[in-house]
Amino acid sequence: MPHLDEGTLHALLDGELELSEVKEIQNHLGSCAACGSRLHDVKEFLTEADRLVADLHTPAGPANFRREPAAPTQAPRVQAASEHPTAGARPWREPVWDAAPELLLPEDPAEVARRRRRTRLFRWAAMIAVVFGVGQFVRSGLTSNTLDLGHSERDIVLAPTPTPPAVVAPEETTRQEAPTAQRSTPAAAVAKDRAPAPRPSPGAKVLAEEPVADTLTEQFDTMIMAAAEDTAPTQAADQVIAGAGRPEADRAERRGSEADAATREAAAAAMEELDRERLRARANAATAALPPPRPEPQATVEPAARTLEQKAQTYLRIGLDEAAKQLGRPMHVIEAMSPEFVGLAQGRTVPGADPNRPVVRVVYRDTRGRMILLDQQRLRTGQAPGAANGNLRWILGDVMLYLHGEPGNDVLRNLQRRVR
Amino acid sequence: MTADLTQLFEQHYESLVRMLYRRTGDRDRAEDLAQETFARAVAAPPNNPRPWLFAVALNLVREDGRRTVRQGRRLELLRTEDRPTEGPDVDFERQERSASIHAALATLGERDREALLLKAEGFNYEEIAATLGLSKGAVGTTLARARRRLVEAYRSEARGKNAAS
Repeated sequence: MPHLDEGTLHALLDGELELSEVKEIQNHLGSCAACGSRLHDVKEFLTEADRLVADLHTPAGPANFRREPAAPTQAPRVQAASEHPTAGARPWREPVWDAAPELLLPEDPAEVARRRRRTRLFRWAAMIAVVFGVGQFVRSGLTSNTLDLGHSERDIVLAPTPTPPAVVAPEETTRQEAPTAQRSTPAAAVAKDRAPAPRPSPGAKVLAEEPVADTLTEQFDTMIMAAAEDTAPTQAADQVIAGAGRPEADRAERRGSEADAATREAAAAAMEELDRERLRARANAATAALPPPRPEPQATVEPAARTLEQKAQTYLRIGLDEAAKQLGRPMHVIEAMSPEFVGLAQGRTVPGADPNRPVVRVVYRDTRGRMILLDQQRLRTGQAPGAANGNLRWILGDVMLYLHGEPGNDVLRNLQRRVR
Repeated sequence: MTADLTQLFEQHYESLVRMLYRRTGDRDRAEDLAQETFARAVAAPPNNPRPWLFAVALNLVREDGRRTVRQGRRLELLRTEDRPTEGPDVDFERQERSASIHAALATLGERDREALLLKAEGFNYEEIAATLGLSKGAVGTTLARARRRLVEAYRSEARGKNAAS
């Protein structure tokens, strides 16, 4: 047999070779001093490298590792995510981030920018509407012209509603009547002024033709483009603006300062509603990609088994075949007990074991739920069995066994008699 | 599918973040990448989840052009950080050691490093091969090279530090 290459030696030490290959290699190692010494080096590198990587502990962080099963939460995911800064209000032992690991989709920066731009535009729209409305009112106050108030107000307020007759019919009437109405009623002007912003309508065209609105036309066009993209806030704005316009029109003959205040109030209310609507839309968008019914973590995973695996410090679950391969014989078990699982544990964590090789760990639980571990490792030729002389550490054939766990030594000693 | 996905998340998130942290040296970034990986799993549920998730995560790391800069900066921070001693000396030593290990890992070839990190997460050779697109027979050689280089780089790093101090 040619000399063993380093890769094979690593595969051997990692327990990745078939039993037949292992035997062949062991035969070779028995007769080849060079490979024997190489194996020694490889073992050293393997142990040290694996230890180096294992020593890179992830630093503790808020969304990091949960040691306890997640607490059941009925709160919608987005709420949990958006409310985490208020975690201080909750008991300190139950931070929001630890309670439920959330699958948060990364936010698209382009979308955020677009939303910001849109909000800014709506703010501008509200502000311009207020200024424009006040200006119109002052002008109408000077001319004292209140012609045809009811008619024009109704037509113009209805203009943004989606029913076709309301949109089409007023177009002809507003062309003649709207200029008068605008001079006479500030509220109508406000409603007319703001109605086009969310949705293009005949009113917008009329307004664009108005000399006063000339300077604003470009800005409104931009706003209309932006607003057309987002229907939910638009509808809300339509409703609020239409609603705000009506009472405002009723007070058209009152003093200018009152109308000014009311207009501001209506604009603020519209903005608030718009903000709420925007948040709702954002929340919906954020959760849209997630599967809506989310079963509680306890229902889908087995926290007990996971905890046990962590508690038992096994890094890999293995089957009986793999255990037999590791030990060179079928693994030992405690009679009349059924193991929770069999895993591999780091040799260096088991006293008396060869630190460079894994230990087969059979994990049991007694009737009271206490964890019992039966560690086993095949002794290599030359391996000092000196460490294996403790009460609960002994040798059967060429396998070192070590029984330990949560119950007291008396219980373990009783179990030791049942190890076969 | 929802249950599967939740289970997937529960089973692999921790391990994935740990691997990504070891790979990038940046916990926040590791979590971001893990989130992104699971977001992709939502879009296309994988058949063989563990290798799939880790392969996607490693691809994300590789694709990110800022990776090198970030990593360099992070390592530099770890190395030169003169933070006030918040805890006992042990913490400081651990940080120093982590920085040295990260620096040593950074000297490895991409594939060698990835094989090593996957092995540390309990992957067997078959899974490593599936994740990295290697043949199973090549995994032993890859790991052998990776381990040797890591240890050598770490030792020389430590020697450099001792000489400097």
